[in-house]
Amino acid sequence: MKKAIGDNMIPREWGFERGLELIKKAGYNGIELWLGDVPWFQMATSDSDVRELRRKVENAGLVVSNVSTGLHWAAPLSARDPAARAQATRIVERQIETAVMLGTDAVLVVAGLVTEEVPYNEVYQRCLEALKPLGDKAARAGVKIGCENCNSEQRFLISPREFSQFLNDVGSPAVGIHLDVGNIHDTGFAEQWIELHGPRITRIHLKDVLKHRGRCGDQSVYTNLFLGDNNWPAIRAALTKVRYDGWLVAEMEARYRYAPDQQFYDTAQAIDRFISGRL
Amino acid sequence: MYRREFLSYAAGIVTLPAVIDFQHRSRIELLDLEENCCLRESVAGYTAVLAELGFASRRSVLIVPAAARIPETAMRRMVTAMQAGGIVILESGAGFANEQDLRAHRDTLRDCFAVRLNAPVQLWPRRTPYVDFTWPFATKLRDFSRVIPLDQPTDQTIGWVDGRPVALKRQAGRGTFIFLGSPLGPVLWAGDVDAKRWLLDVVRS
Repeated sequence: MKKAIGDNMIPREWGFERGLELIKKAGYNGIELWLGDVPWFQMATSDSDVRELRRKVENAGLVVSNVSTGLHWAAPLSARDPAARAQATRIVERQIETAVMLGTDAVLVVAGLVTEEVPYNEVYQRCLEALKPLGDKAARAGVKIGCENCNSEQRFLISPREFSQFLNDVGSPAVGIHLDVGNIHDTGFAEQWIELHGPRITRIHLKDVLKHRGRCGDQSVYTNLFLGDNNWPAIRAALTKVRYDGWLVAEMEARYRYAPDQQFYDTAQAIDRFISGRL
Repeated sequence: MYRREFLSYAAGIVTLPAVIDFQHRSRIELLDLEENCCLRESVAGYTAVLAELGFASRRSVLIVPAAARIPETAMRRMVTAMQAGGIVILESGAGFANEQDLRAHRDTLRDCFAVRLNAPVQLWPRRTPYVDFTWPFATKLRDFSRVIPLDQPTDQTIGWVDGRPVALKRQAGRGTFIFLGSPLGPVLWAGDVDAKRWLLDVVRS
């Protein structure tokens, strides 16, 4: 397995190049690029500038693990307004286009957002209708769309079987799951999600979760690897069982208050430990 | 047909008794306004439900989903349907239209059907997600985030949102004109059984 970390973890004042140096120095193999979440990679970033990003990544001795985005929280594929939905679709299309330019084969999509206003059935239907053609487009580009399990935040596809049924209904081999082992909270167990989804897993996001906090308080439920309640030996064993040998992408919500670069080193070492199975 | 001729034709049909008998074989038709339809989901919703119903109604029914700008040909179809004693359901999608189309939509409703509409209202955040219908039976159906309210309630009002009138049923000669200011088609598309029951009852009325 290979290690990556998101460019949205790079302290803003550092800039992209200095961030790449740190990521390489900390021992990662790759970087996850977040479309729209960092100043250097926006929807308006031109193709030539995207290629320049790739050149910088490769010059640093890294590769791009995948293209993610947080833009769908504001413009979800499940929006009622057709104009917002068109924007959401365009975001996925741009992810696919840039993934090809950046030399990677996976994008992360937060597929739908259930709210008080937009109910579950609508979100389900709309996501299916959006993802079927996007799956075709991704397949033609040689890219896989990984729908992330943002269980609590999305209030959508809460259980692994439900998620599996959703992927069955999409019915595209180019649409799978970008499985975040920290997002399952107290509604299940990451190792069971891994086992159930197996070959449909496009990428793994790593973070730990403090299940006892729940989502109602004002403190984040997320924490750094090995500090929370995930059963890391079971997660490691499940990855072996399903023969997952792809990218492990660190996605930390809580950042170090001091010495932010230290978090890159600590996380890289934790991932090494996780990969080695010495848990 | 010139605009003046069309308007007088339309106004006459709306206010005078229809002279054409019911058809023996009634039909349910969807009038897809294509680029003038704001919500394609609405067309899909009505299509799915009507295909499932698979029966001839007592009266002809013409449904116009998620209308924004209403072309004259569409108006003619609606007027003809009402003249023939049928039910016309005009669903407004103008809450999702651009300003020009919204203005044209409101002008058409005012000039041709004497239905005056207020500006669109963004409903959320609100306490409950429903439109309260009083006809053909009392029920709560999901809202669709934006509504075009009628300018004032009358005894023809059949749907309410937060105290605002958003749907009406009006006799037009032997025909019936139903205006929906809150889109129902996308709710049908999402599989809402109450919305389906509501439509079924209207079609059978």
